[in-house]
Amino acid sequence: MNIVDKVAQCLVTAGSTFREDQKEAYRKAIAGEQIESSCWVMKQVLDNALVAEERRSPLCDDTGIPHLFLEVGKNRTVTGELLEEIKEGVRQGLRQLPGRPMAIKGDDYARIDQSGGLNEDSGALDASPILIKSVDEDVIRLTVLMLGGGPAIRGITQRVFHKHSVDVVIDEIVNRAKPAVSQLGCSPCTLAIGIGRSQFEATSLMMEAMAKGDFGVQSDFEKRITEKVNEANVGPLGLGGKHSVLATFAKIGPQRASGVRIVALRPCCCFEPRRASVEL
Amino acid sequence: MIELTTPFSEEAISQLKVGDVVSISGSIFCGRDAVLPRICKELEAGIWAKRGIDLQGGVIFHTAVSPAGVGPTSSNKLEIEGSFEVLSKLGGIKMHLGKGAIKPETVKMLAENNAVFAVIPPVTALLESQTLERECVAWPELGMEALYKIKVKGYQAIIAAAQGGSIY
Repeated sequence: MNIVDKVAQCLVTAGSTFREDQKEAYRKAIAGEQIESSCWVMKQVLDNALVAEERRSPLCDDTGIPHLFLEVGKNRTVTGELLEEIKEGVRQGLRQLPGRPMAIKGDDYARIDQSGGLNEDSGALDASPILIKSVDEDVIRLTVLMLGGGPAIRGITQRVFHKHSVDVVIDEIVNRAKPAVSQLGCSPCTLAIGIGRSQFEATSLMMEAMAKGDFGVQSDFEKRITEKVNEANVGPLGLGGKHSVLATFAKIGPQRASGVRIVALRPCCCFEPRRASVEL
Repeated sequence: MIELTTPFSEEAISQLKVGDVVSISGSIFCGRDAVLPRICKELEAGIWAKRGIDLQGGVIFHTAVSPAGVGPTSSNKLEIEGSFEVLSKLGGIKMHLGKGAIKPETVKMLAENNAVFAVIPPVTALLESQTLERECVAWPELGMEALYKIKVKGYQAIIAAAQGGSIY
């Protein structure tokens, strides 16, 4: 399979498929939830994933904006031609899924106020800038993430004055996450968190957390956040219950010698992180 | 599971309680932020009937209709929740279908008009498998945000506001 086709198939998989660890997280949550209506919601979400996987059709009608995470081994080369092939693969994948046609037409002003209308071509939606990371493996691996609008509305990237205490940082993340999860609507959610030295770095780390996080492997830091946010009892679709958050995916990067930490937080919706990876 | 087929009767709606899970079949309308205020404007001006679209006993599903499918947007957005009263009072809409908590005054208004708010999970692939037909019936220039009529079989939803009570 050529690179364009590999990328296109990867995007379709990202938009239509739950990974096994994600399915297992739902099965556990359904088994452990006592509120009947919340159980019903989570069963619907899991059934939806099985139908979407079988049909290779969108998990959600907000098919999301493609975000790309590229891992490159030290003996591998990324060329301009490869980046163009990735771009074309994204375009074809969006048409195959099909992605919701939501590219905004027009100049700067028209794109802001949406006065130029929408492009009817699903493939016209540009991907975000590619995030590239060097790795110790001998690979070029692309991860496609499809990021929906609801979590983007409720995401927060802001500083925390840590007072030399991890507890302070965790408490502030929880304080921000509880209303965000409540307002999200499409829960149970997964919290994606990046902690770094600048807004750019924190957001990049959050992207990496979404690209690599595993529902079955949770650090103590991640578990503490999940447990504290779940105490809010928001529940799936806000119907109450213990499962507002299924897991937390956090990536903690290098930190600045100062009293401040920059925290990027995204309450990923009940289908996210929608992602798939392919070696190119 | 309570089976409901559109158009809904006054009696069928009056028996619904908060927390009931319902299965909806028949023709339903789809519209969101862009189109719902336009419908309200024509209902209030008394010119809606000219379109020949009967909303009586109907459902408004707060969704876009695109090649990607359908799925609920937040019903508590200003233009959407703001349409509930006119759509029910003047249009005869009996079920507003979407997601998210709505205001206490909206819950009260729904009860006064024997209408309900139901929450549907954003399960696009499942809904696609239960959608039989789709037709754009007004304002096609709005694209995926135009007013659509779709024929569905077995959409599952939970009653979130009825008879003055709310699940939130």
